[in-house]
Amino acid sequence: MIDAATLAQMNGEYVMPPDAGPAWRAAREAGIDMSLIEEALKLTPEQRLAEHQQVIDFLLEVQEAGQRNGTE
Amino acid sequence: MAQNDQALLMRLRDAGLEFVVIGGVCVVYHGALLATFDLDICCPFGEENVRRIEAAVNELHPVHRLTANKLPLELTRSAFGDLKNLYLQTDLGKLDCLSEVAGVGDFSTVREQSVVASFSYGQFRFLNLDSLIASKKAVGRDRDLDAVRRLLAIKEKKEQQTGLL
Repeated sequence: MIDAATLAQMNGEYVMPPDAGPAWRAAREAGIDMSLIEEALKLTPEQRLAEHQQVIDFLLEVQEAGQRNGTE
Repeated sequence: MAQNDQALLMRLRDAGLEFVVIGGVCVVYHGALLATFDLDICCPFGEENVRRIEAAVNELHPVHRLTANKLPLELTRSAFGDLKNLYLQTDLGKLDCLSEVAGVGDFSTVREQSVVASFSYGQFRFLNLDSLIASKKAVGRDRDLDAVRRLLAIKEKKEQQTGLL
C-alpha cells in the first residue's frame, strides 16, 4: 500500500525537509525545484561541473538541430 | 558552437594566468546547476596578463565577440595595455575575463574572497559563496536574482550542516 505522501511525491510534489530554513522555503515558494539542488549538493564540485558540461553539450546540440530544421 | 570550460581553464592555467572563476560556472560549483554558456573569470589586467590570456587561446581563433566585426584578438595587441575586460569567442567557447566583479571589487579582493577547488585536472580558484551571492545581487538581473535564491538556500543548508545555524 502506497501512503499518501509517497503518492504525492510520485506525482511530483516536493516534500519540504523538516529542517528546511527560511531561505530554503523562500526558494521553494519562488518556484525553484529544490529536489534538483538537493541532488546537486550530493555531488562533488567536479561531478557538478561535469554534469553541467553534459547539459551544455546536449542543449547546444538541440539548438543546432533546431537551427538546421529552421533553415530546411 | 562548443563550450568546453574544462579545456579553457586548463589553458589559462598553463599560460600562467592567475584567475578566479566567477559567474555561472561558479554558481554550478557551489551546487546550483543552472545552465550557463560562457566561462567568466576575474583576473589582473595589464599588458602582461592580457598576453597570457592571448597565449592561452591563440590557437583557438579568439575574437572580441562583442565588437561588430568580431575583431581578432591578435589584431588588437596595441590596445592590450588599456583593456579592463575581454569578451572572447574561441573555438572552445565563450570566455569573459573581467578585471573586477560587481559587488565584490577588483582582482585582489576577489582573490581574497576565493576558495581553492581541487579537480582531477588541477586546482582552480572559485569565488566563495558569500561573495558570489553579493556579486549576483549587485548585477541584479532576473536570472541573477534567481541564482541568489538558490545560493541563499544552499548557504543556509551548509550552515545547518556545519552547526552554524
